[in-house]
Amino acid sequence: MKLNKILAMGWENMRQRKLRTSLTTLGVIIGITAIIGLASLGEGFKLEVRERMQQGFELDNLTVIPGTLFAGLSRERFTDYDAQNISKIAGVKVATQVMQMGNVTLHNNRNNKTVRAFVATAVNFTEFAQVFPDRFIFENGRLPEPGRNDTIVIGYKVNNPTENDTTPFAVANDTITLTLGVFKLRDYNFTVAGTLQKTGTPGITNFDYWIFIPLETARKIYNTSESDLIFVKVYNPEESERIADDIEGLFPPFKVTILVPLTFIRQVDGVLTIVQLFLMAVASISLLVAGIGIMNIMTVSVMERTREIGILKAIGAKSRTVLAMFLAEALLIGVMGGSIGLITGYGLSFGLAYVLSSFMQLQHQRNIGFQSPELPQRMAINPAFSPEWTIVAFIFAIIVCIIFGLYPARKAAKLNPVEALRYE
Amino acid sequence: MATILEVRKVKKSYRMGRILVPALRGVSFDGEQGEFLTIFGPSGSGKSTLLHLMGCLDRPDDGEILIDAVDVLKLSDENLAELRLTKIGFVFQFFNLLPRLTALRNVELPLTIAGVSEKETLERAKEMLTLVGLEARMNHRPSELSGGEQQRVAIARALINNPKIVLADEPTGNLDTKTGWEIVQLMKRLNEEKNQTFVVVTHDPQIAETAHRIIHLKDGLVEGIKEAPRRSKQ
Repeated sequence: MKLNKILAMGWENMRQRKLRTSLTTLGVIIGITAIIGLASLGEGFKLEVRERMQQGFELDNLTVIPGTLFAGLSRERFTDYDAQNISKIAGVKVATQVMQMGNVTLHNNRNNKTVRAFVATAVNFTEFAQVFPDRFIFENGRLPEPGRNDTIVIGYKVNNPTENDTTPFAVANDTITLTLGVFKLRDYNFTVAGTLQKTGTPGITNFDYWIFIPLETARKIYNTSESDLIFVKVYNPEESERIADDIEGLFPPFKVTILVPLTFIRQVDGVLTIVQLFLMAVASISLLVAGIGIMNIMTVSVMERTREIGILKAIGAKSRTVLAMFLAEALLIGVMGGSIGLITGYGLSFGLAYVLSSFMQLQHQRNIGFQSPELPQRMAINPAFSPEWTIVAFIFAIIVCIIFGLYPARKAAKLNPVEALRYE
Repeated sequence: MATILEVRKVKKSYRMGRILVPALRGVSFDGEQGEFLTIFGPSGSGKSTLLHLMGCLDRPDDGEILIDAVDVLKLSDENLAELRLTKIGFVFQFFNLLPRLTALRNVELPLTIAGVSEKETLERAKEMLTLVGLEARMNHRPSELSGGEQQRVAIARALINNPKIVLADEPTGNLDTKTGWEIVQLMKRLNEEKNQTFVVVTHDPQIAETAHRIIHLKDGLVEGIKEAPRRSKQ
């Protein structure tokens, strides 16, 4: 018997029992709706988180820290030699050393204002601007010329401590007296080269609260030739893990820790994927329930149609033809339920996304009083249409239908024609 | 004339709970091409069992059945289905049409199963329905047809694949005498026109008498085979 005829007959049989067919199909629809709904919502969530993390963690930047986090950060520090070795590694664009000093107070000699900064970072301005081209952007003034040792760059929040104050703390060419630390209270005079634009909190560093001075000057102040951190800029973020390994290889074991944003993102991505799969596994249970529904209804159908099966066999239908006829019905239920379920599933994901987004907006408004000045942008989840999940879910629907249809179909195929013909 | 059907010492028992009930205890006869045979006997004599065995719906416990010189016992289930499809036509007491299909679709069924092209299937089904006088009722469902009409549809279905043998199990058993007689006349006419072997199971002596040969069955054995006078005239 030709396949199209088998399918046509299956379709005809299903049309004759509309209520039964639609209820059985409804089970599959609900199952696929749940799977697709959660899959696309999860995919959208993952994309949103990934995008935010990519914005936050500059993927092409690695941070090299002395010591390891678990063995305790060592007091050993980096030298020019270390930085030079790192910059020789293939794929590294720039490796720049940095010294950091906490507890900084700035006094503007022009207007007699005093502000505090979270951190004073001593940098090689030329290299540093290459590492952070997106964040080292000047609102006022410009990048200090190389070779000058008395320049200072001020972060946005240091320069504008209160939102209401319209006059900034300093502008280019102001003279600033810097007080570093509590114990080594020494005063230094710097000329403002420029002030930075507001950049927010990408990743773990926030330049808004930082000020920058030349590395050579800081080294002179502390009488050292070393540095605290090395920032590494790579050409291709995909290579960052290999480069991190290479950097690690330059030092004795457990002497350095390298923060690789890509690894962070991979791990978070991995966790989100597991959560997504878990949700989908839960949703799949509903599809299995639908499968049992199919098995149940088809078993009843086989019993009701015993005589018909006997007739078909008497006329010359082979067992596998009978099997195919019943499997065709299961297949059609799978195709119909799967197709409708895909549509309703995407509908569901948009509905859920809307509800979740408005819920988060509500949370956002409630928390506003407690938030730090740096509010993250509101999270908006957009369901992501994923062709892979669509195909997987559709095939899953069909497989479930066929597997659960197999038992009743085999039962029909195995019927003894003489007994089937006698069946009342 | 060629022998189309050979039944040799066929035995068949049924298990009813713990007891083995013999239905056929060694039946032998044969049928020639174009012959109209009736199997006549009281209920419980094994008529239907014999018909099922000849129709390859079941296998004998012992003995041989040859259809068109093929030993059916040696065939797989798959090949038996093929044999039923190509060489055997069935007519049942209760018509056994598929209730949801129209008369035309019911008649088409064997060719649909055989995978014959749609065009040819339709042509032949219409031809068969015309042959049994139902050209005007082709698109009716069985529930919209009278018993006699339903049996005509069943006969058309049995003959559409041009079988060597047509097997009828009490074809008039569910019809009134007049209609039943019409059905017998129809089968007789088709038998003459198409030169196919007809085997009709009946317990009606009048119908049995219309055959070329009557096989009397009693308690699972052939009691006698009677040649009808008309046969000698042929």
